[in-house]
Amino acid sequence: MKCAEIHPNLAAFALGGLEPEEAAEVRRHLASCPGCQKELEEIETVRHSLEAAPPPAAPPVYLKDEILSHVRAEGLSRIREESKESSSSVERGSSAAPGFNRFKNLRIILPSVAAAAVVGIVALGITFGFMREDAPVATIQLVPTPDEAAGLKGYWGVAEIRPQPSGNQQVELKLNNFEEPKPNSYYELWFVSGERRISAGSFTSVGQGETKVLLNVPPEARNYHTLLITEEHMDNDTAPSQEVALKGEMP
Amino acid sequence: MMTQRADELSDEQLMTRLTGPEVEAALSKLYDRYSRTVFGVGLKILGDRSLAEELVQDVFLKVWRSSGTFDSSRGSFSTWLYRVTRSVALDLYRKRAHRVRPVPDGDPYLATAQDSSAGPQEVVDESWLSWRVSRALEVLDASHKEVIHLAYFEGLSQREISERTGVPLGTVKSRTASAFKSLRRELALGDTLREANR
Repeated sequence: MKCAEIHPNLAAFALGGLEPEEAAEVRRHLASCPGCQKELEEIETVRHSLEAAPPPAAPPVYLKDEILSHVRAEGLSRIREESKESSSSVERGSSAAPGFNRFKNLRIILPSVAAAAVVGIVALGITFGFMREDAPVATIQLVPTPDEAAGLKGYWGVAEIRPQPSGNQQVELKLNNFEEPKPNSYYELWFVSGERRISAGSFTSVGQGETKVLLNVPPEARNYHTLLITEEHMDNDTAPSQEVALKGEMP
Repeated sequence: MMTQRADELSDEQLMTRLTGPEVEAALSKLYDRYSRTVFGVGLKILGDRSLAEELVQDVFLKVWRSSGTFDSSRGSFSTWLYRVTRSVALDLYRKRAHRVRPVPDGDPYLATAQDSSAGPQEVVDESWLSWRVSRALEVLDASHKEVIHLAYFEGLSQREISERTGVPLGTVKSRTASAFKSLRRELALGDTLREANR
């Protein structure tokens, strides 16, 4: 056979993919053709390189959405920091660590008492596509305590739970005409079971009108069936506040 | 919406958009182009699917957070991303010692994982070739990728590939030959190991 007939078969030959009679013909030709021997050597180098190829696997499909969610959350967090600097407020607790933390960055702690700034941030959350359209698996009515209810007009509030592919639970709070926190205070959402609590993150309210906040809790919170929203103060006390403003129970 | 379609932008152009309003579209496109390579190399280094997923998350968040440190005059995005991946993988490799998971029976992906008796630096250094091969495979066109996958990874003969795909045997052979030429060209291109280690 001529070189032109052998060349298209060399890669398949190197891979062991030819039929026995075709392979035998290639071997016969190679025995007397230095040009094709050299070509085969180069093909063998490539074939050898393939041994270093990583396994042909793809990451799970939800991973991309999780990463983009973090980017959105951190984007909001940065806006929050800017907002905080401009309002010269004092924030309680630790700042976000630079490393990856599944939940830390999803906490929306808005210490500013400037309602306009909060409205802006909530609006940005909507712009970033934060508000999901998929149906929640649970909708929990958030009922004000008697003291709290006395000062509220036209209030209603719900927490919508949506499980995430990662196992986390996304909580979307919708609060209408819920009052703003006191100066140097903010609200915090807790998942409670007996004496145990898991924080889902912090937020402020716009007061008049509807406040929407997106928070996230780890999978363990599935077994915590009571939701509390407490008013927390920006001081050095890291213990949860006892000032419960809203309460809800999983249906 | 991006002013220019993300598909049309080079990796380096996408990097410049990570600090602007088009961040999600730009990061999404880079993820589409490179996540399989990061994940695959991660599996090879770490031998643990869960850690490889963690690697992908950490790497792409680092790409976003550190986009300002990328300088296209010093090398390609691919090489820079390899360095980021290697650095994150080394950290995770060290963590692996504390939480190794049993390999599920018959998991074909983990079967190729590195021998854990090798030191972390040793394992990670070998990953540069894995990275380059993965990138060379990723940029093959779909028909070339298919024949290489079937011939090399599944071990099918040319005739079996023809029967499996319905493509004439002669075409399968010419595609296999073309795919090898493309791989040879891609592997010869790009930054050197020295640049990757810089």
